[in-house]
Amino acid sequence: MMVVSDVFAHVVDALDVETFLVCMSENEGKNLALTMMKDMGFQDVDVVFVKFQGSGARVRVRAYINRPGDKYPWLDLEDTGEEES
Amino acid sequence: MAKKILLAPVDPVHDIGLKMVNRGLREAGYDTVLLPPDLSTEEIIQAIIDEKADTAVLSRTLGYGVANLLARFVDLADAAGIREKVRIAIGGMAVRPELAQELGFDASFGPGSTVEETIAFVEGKEFIKDTNLSRKQARDMTEGYSYKVKHGRIGELLEKTTDMILAWTEGKTSPGVERAILRDELWDVNKWRGGQPTTGFFSEYAGLCDEIVRNYYEKGELHPKTRRFTDKDVEKLRAHVERSRVDLQTPSIQHTLKKPIIFNQYGTGCPYMDIAHIKASEAYGADGVVHFDPSWGARTEGFFDGFLTHQEDGTVITPDNLMHICESLEKGTLWQVRAHRGLNTPETVVLAGKLGAHLTKINICYGSLGAGTEPARLTVDGVASIRYAAKYKLPFDVVTNEELCGVPAYKAFAGMLIVAHLGAALGGRSILQPLFCYSPEVMISGQMEDNYVDFNAAKITALRSIMDAPIWPGAPIGFLTQDEDRVQSSTTTALHTGLAAMLGVDAISIASSDEAYSGGPITVPSKVDTLRSAAESFRFFGQSRMELGRNAVQWSEEIVSGIESVLEQVVEKGDFVQALYDGILGNREDGAYPGRNGLNTVTQK
Repeated sequence: MMVVSDVFAHVVDALDVETFLVCMSENEGKNLALTMMKDMGFQDVDVVFVKFQGSGARVRVRAYINRPGDKYPWLDLEDTGEEES
Repeated sequence: MAKKILLAPVDPVHDIGLKMVNRGLREAGYDTVLLPPDLSTEEIIQAIIDEKADTAVLSRTLGYGVANLLARFVDLADAAGIREKVRIAIGGMAVRPELAQELGFDASFGPGSTVEETIAFVEGKEFIKDTNLSRKQARDMTEGYSYKVKHGRIGELLEKTTDMILAWTEGKTSPGVERAILRDELWDVNKWRGGQPTTGFFSEYAGLCDEIVRNYYEKGELHPKTRRFTDKDVEKLRAHVERSRVDLQTPSIQHTLKKPIIFNQYGTGCPYMDIAHIKASEAYGADGVVHFDPSWGARTEGFFDGFLTHQEDGTVITPDNLMHICESLEKGTLWQVRAHRGLNTPETVVLAGKLGAHLTKINICYGSLGAGTEPARLTVDGVASIRYAAKYKLPFDVVTNEELCGVPAYKAFAGMLIVAHLGAALGGRSILQPLFCYSPEVMISGQMEDNYVDFNAAKITALRSIMDAPIWPGAPIGFLTQDEDRVQSSTTTALHTGLAAMLGVDAISIASSDEAYSGGPITVPSKVDTLRSAAESFRFFGQSRMELGRNAVQWSEEIVSGIESVLEQVVEKGDFVQALYDGILGNREDGAYPGRNGLNTVTQK
C-alpha cells in the first residue's frame, strides 16, 4: 500500500455510489442522486442506472475522478513499502 | 515440524473450512485431531492438553461476540500454561488479521485464505504463493484445426468464390495496400525501437495519406482530438506498470475447463488508462485483450506517429501507442489488434505483426456492408491483409458485426465463411466470430422470444457442421441483452459465458458491466464485475454440457441451407464485389449499405 494524503489519488477512474432512495418517481430519484453527489463535492457526475419501483428508486450514480486523457494522480503515487494504517 | 495438530471450531455450528484444512494436513502426513463444533473454550483447551498437541488451529465463522470470545480463549490458554508450548492459529470468516495479532495469536487466516497457507504455518514456513498462477501461457486457439469444409456443396461454392476473388484482385492495388508494402518493406521496427531515423519510409508514406495525416508528417500538426505525451509521462507510466507487476498474479478463471479463452476490450482513448484496464483485467483472469481504435481511424488514409492520447473513445493506432501497450502486457496475455474494417486494414496487420500482437481481425464483408468501406477497396485490401496475416503468422477472426445492422445470420455467415476459406487458401488461420447476441434479426423474427439459448446454439452448431475451424463468439457475448444495471449486466454475461462454455467454443469476448451505459467512459471496476461473473459461471457449470433443443436443431439446419443458398447466388453472380453491391450478402432492407470510404481508390499496379 502507498502512503498518500489524498485518498482520491488512488481512484483509477470513477467512484460509484449505489443506494435505494425513498422517492415518488424515477425522475425524483435521479435528481436526488445527482444532488447527493454534488452535496458530497463531486462535479463530474452522472446517473448510470436508476429504476423506480415500489417505495423508491434503486440508483447507481457515478462521479468521474479521472477521465481518459486527464493527468492521473495515481501515476504519481510512490510505493513506500509501508502499510497504510 | 509440528508433531500433533488439534483443530477446533470455536463456533456453535460451522466447521467446513476446518474440515478442509484437516483433510489437507492429513494428506500432507500430519497427525491431526478434529474436534466437533459447540465445545466450550475450557473443553478445547483441555483437549489441547490431553492430546499433547503442539499446534492448535481454531476457526470462527459467526461474527457476533468474536472479539470477547477469542480474548477469553487467549486468557484461559495463558492461565492453563499452554501459550508458551503450543502455537495457536485462528481462521474463518469472522477473523480479521488485526484482531488476531492484537490478541497474540501466532497466525490468522481470514476470508479467502487457502488450505496451503495453514499447512505452511503448521510447517513453520513462510507461505509462498503458487507462481504457476503468474505463468499463464499465450495459447494459439487455431492449433489443431484443419479448415476443411465438411459440407460438400458449400465446399464447392467456397472454392469457386475464393478463385473468383483472387482472380478479381490480381494486379490491383490501393493506397492502403501501398502503405502496407512500405510499412512491411521500409519500416525497420528494430531501428525504430532503437530511435534510429526512418526518414526514407516517411518521405514516401506521407504522400499516400489523407491531408490530415500528411499535415502531421509535413507540418507537425496533430489530429485535433489528440495530445502527445511527454517523456516524463512515459517514465511515470513505466514505473506504474512495474509497480503493478510486483504482486500480479494472472489466475485462470475457467475452473476445470481449458476453454473458452476469455478476452475483453480496451480503447478508452488514452493508452495510460487502457493499461490500467489491462492490468486489472489480467489480475482478474482475462486471457487476452483487444485493441479498439477510434471510428475515424477506419475512415482516414494513413496512421499518425508518436505516443498520443485521444479525447474520445478508441485508442489511436500509432507504433508508439501499440508498443507501450504491448510492453505493459504480461507474457501470457493474448493481444489482438483489430484491422478488419477500414482504409488501414493491411497496414494494421503489418504493424500488429511487427509489434508483437498475437491476433488480428479481418472481414471484407462486414467492413464493406456495415462499416462504411467501399466494397472493391476492401476486397483488394482484405486479400492483401490476409496475405500479411499469413506472413506474420497472425490468426485473425472474421467477425459478423453486420448482424448488428440487421443482416440475418445466414447471410453474414456466408460472408464470414468466404473470408475464412479465402484465408485458408492464402495460408492464413482464421477464427469464426459469430455474434452471440440479441440481434435485430431475432428481435424481428422472434427466435429469442422465449430464451437466448436456442438460436445462439443453432449458430454455433451450424458453423461447426460446415467448417473445421475455431469459433470465438462475441463481440461481446450477450450484446444487446445488457442494461445499465451492473447486476443484470454481469448476470447476462455470466449466463452467456456458461452457454458458450457448454457449447465448447474456443474463446469468447466479454463486455464490462458498463456495456449499456453510454454517458461516459467504461470504468475499471466494470471490467472486474464481468470477469468475476464469468469466473462464477465457470465454477457453476464446470464441465457440464447441454443437449440441443428441437428449435436449435431446426434453426441450425435452416442457417446451413440459407448459407448454401447465398453462396449459390454469389457464384451465379460471378463477381464477389458486385455481389456485395447487389445485397446478396446483406441488403438495404436488412440494414446493410455498401460503404463509400475509399471509393475509386483501387488502381491497376
